Amino acid sequence: MFGRRTLLAAAAALALTLPAFGAQAQQPPVRIALIGPMSGTGAFEGQLGLEGAQAMAAVINAKGGVAGGRKIELLTYDDKGSPEDGVSAAKRAMEQDNVDMIIGGWFSAVALSMKEVTRDKIITVMTSSQHPKVTEEGHKYLFRLNATSAMMSEFYSKAICERIKPKSIAFMNVNDDWGRLELDNYTKLLTGCGIEVKGHEFYNRTDTDFTTALTKLKSLNADAIYVAAINTSQGATIYRQIKQTGYRGKVIASAGNMNPKLVELSGNSLEQVYSASPFTEDGAAPSLKPWLEQYRKDYKNDPSFIAALGAQAVQTLAFGVDAAGGDPRAYDKIAAALKSQAVPTVMGELRFSDKGQASQAIHLVQVQKKQIVSVRD
Amino acid sequence: MDFTVFAQQIANGLVNGMAYVLIATGLTLVFGVLRIVNFAHGEFYMLGAYITYFVGTLFGLDYIAAAAISAVVVAGLGVAANKLIFWPLRRDHEFTILLSSLGLALLIANGGELLFGADPKYVESPFADEVLDIGTVTLTQQRVLVFAAAVVALIAVYLFIRYSRFGKMMRATAQNPDGAALTGINIGLVHTYTFALACGLAALSGALVGPTVMIFPTIGNWAVLKGFIVVIMGGLGSVTGALFAGLLLGVIESLGGGYISLGFMEAIGYAMIIAVLLWRPNGLFSTARGLR
Repeated sequence: MFGRRTLLAAAAALALTLPAFGAQAQQPPVRIALIGPMSGTGAFEGQLGLEGAQAMAAVINAKGGVAGGRKIELLTYDDKGSPEDGVSAAKRAMEQDNVDMIIGGWFSAVALSMKEVTRDKIITVMTSSQHPKVTEEGHKYLFRLNATSAMMSEFYSKAICERIKPKSIAFMNVNDDWGRLELDNYTKLLTGCGIEVKGHEFYNRTDTDFTTALTKLKSLNADAIYVAAINTSQGATIYRQIKQTGYRGKVIASAGNMNPKLVELSGNSLEQVYSASPFTEDGAAPSLKPWLEQYRKDYKNDPSFIAALGAQAVQTLAFGVDAAGGDPRAYDKIAAALKSQAVPTVMGELRFSDKGQASQAIHLVQVQKKQIVSVRD
Repeated sequence: MDFTVFAQQIANGLVNGMAYVLIATGLTLVFGVLRIVNFAHGEFYMLGAYITYFVGTLFGLDYIAAAAISAVVVAGLGVAANKLIFWPLRRDHEFTILLSSLGLALLIANGGELLFGADPKYVESPFADEVLDIGTVTLTQQRVLVFAAAVVALIAVYLFIRYSRFGKMMRATAQNPDGAALTGINIGLVHTYTFALACGLAALSGALVGPTVMIFPTIGNWAVLKGFIVVIMGGLGSVTGALFAGLLLGVIESLGGGYISLGFMEAIGYAMIIAVLLWRPNGLFSTARGLR
């Protein structure tokens, strides 16, 4: 079927393209795997994180890349929001695709499993997961950007106790490591300031309808309902359905889970709802404006906390490679640099502890007239 | 026991159940008349929801019009699927057809992800947030619409199958395809119409239920699974069976989730199938081959 003529022609064509490949072999790019939920209920979070990271990579590459003129190349993997797929994606990235570094761990359950696969093998930056064990039981190359749920709950419970002041509260939490931890944390902290905890309901990561659970919660007649939802699609449905059950009390959104798309999808059900977030668009960090400009140019979504985390992750890795002299595989040097110096990012300067935990400033925010505004005293 | 909460859970269960019935009716029709197990059925549910979304947002049509157009378009897509896949394979083993339908399901679901994007979308409907208080029970207008529209659709389907000429052709084909062909019934036309009806119903369900939750391209899996549970419980080929089994599933899920454990809400459905099949191996309303 394929005669000699065709084969010769194909070989000639290939030979002509070879010089093109040769010309590009100056400096290989720094290859970073971005492992996130690209499908399923968490798909929107994955998309936002990817956009934020890509925008920051574009900003850095436009300025010449990292030390030695190497560009940043992001490879995307889908962890589907599940620990099993996260682990297999990490394995693929490390073993088959030979990436230099990994960004991942958007959901705590995935982060907790994925860190075991990358243990002491590759620099891993976990982004939005909040579970303390990610860094408490981390490894020497593991870093985590988001404040832990303990750090968030310390800040946020004070705001709930002193500002929002409900007399009683009920919880609607996702049934995973983070959701259960939130319930424990806030039950302790809020009973501590005199708020009665009337009950809780757990929902699953894959649920699409919450009316049964919310009907039960509504009948508890709590002053406020605290919603611990990890992703935008379930969150928006929950907030809408709370309103649809006829519940008239206050609604409190969990810390670190507010973004413009959630506000858009929730209709009017998020008005006056509080949350806590490390990200505000009017921050003072020098790298924030150029990143915002690039993001707005490339994407239709409004900049969000999750996107900012994607940007922070790329900035952290770029800083580490620069500080280690340009070699993305000099993991010990990179880790040492990150743990000893302040990393400038879009959300301010980050300092990493010995365990790789970042210190992020947290702000109280509220949804007012469909905008997320920071609440300052 | 708080009667208000009980009544509310029953109401929720009936609404959910009706949605299952709509999905299952199409599935059971395709099996009863054509002996085809169609795993891609849930994807037509998904397409129904998405086309309603796009017709609403791209052309600015109101929700009811968008839902109607979506049902018609997806019915057409069902006819196309029949023409491309199921009709040419009609002489092959049932397993071949089943696997092909599985392939179609994967194709549509992943194609949907590419075309529509994996991020969740919200189907706009003016009824979605408005709340109706019926006695002590609170339901959104959308949920009442799901129930009411489903009842109307099912009555229409029942009358159609029972009294129209075409319905009789469908029942004849269900009883004995070769015999029916011998009496001059155009089996190809029966195939076409059955698929159009089944996929239209699935799409209608998607369009109605869509506004109550977020939609994304993988919801077809959920829909086809619920559909199969109901169809197996009610008996393959039995439309009345699908009605009862669907409502039963909805109510038991709601009560089970409300009073026993939310975590086991899904498991309750499967446990029910096992219980029903142990008692009546052919489903609740099974009789000899045919369409009831």
